[in-house]
Amino acid sequence: MNRLERKSWLELAGVAVCMALTGVCVAALVHLDSKGMDRLLIGGTVGLIAGLVVCVRSASAEAKLDEREKAILRKAFAWASKVAIGFWGGSSFVAFFVVGGKGKIEVYFLPLLFVAGLFLAQFVQSAVVLIQSAKEEHGQ
Amino acid sequence: MGSNQLTNRVRRLRFDNGEMTQQQLAEKVGVTRQTIIAIESGKYAPSLPLVFKLARTFGVPIEEVFQYESEDA
Repeated sequence: MNRLERKSWLELAGVAVCMALTGVCVAALVHLDSKGMDRLLIGGTVGLIAGLVVCVRSASAEAKLDEREKAILRKAFAWASKVAIGFWGGSSFVAFFVVGGKGKIEVYFLPLLFVAGLFLAQFVQSAVVLIQSAKEEHGQ
Repeated sequence: MGSNQLTNRVRRLRFDNGEMTQQQLAEKVGVTRQTIIAIESGKYAPSLPLVFKLARTFGVPIEEVFQYESEDA
């Protein structure tokens, strides 16, 4: 396994853990019937801090990549950006069609959707890198 | 515009230069072994600085290392 694959697996695992952590925190706070900002603030902050730690460690590893690995990472980032934009746009339209033009949704959905998009983008980036690496190993 | 073909003789030059391994060549030019493998198999077109480094490592002109053929030519 080369360093780019190791980095991608680390990011993938980190994203999965952060999502699980955030989900558990938010679910627990909902179950405890916390009011106002607590539901988002505490649960989201725990997950985000963990996610930031993964991103900082990952960013420092990028400096050691060679030009081919950076090209693969750029391609993966492009895919991640497209998926994130599609997710945010799609979720906006889904909300519109589900709730209706004059309907209402709770405000905390907005930052949750934003964070979910970031996590999805990171997942896609790691997946593209690992798929590309697997293709090269199998001679495609 | 016709299809363009970039080929190289990195593998042969490597053997001609003291049977250098892919790892040794990678270390000399500052890339990973996987990048050398990808270059030799034609799956990756290196940047200009890397092309110059490879040519200088082998002590030959760039055209000895990389060849570019266009169907239009």
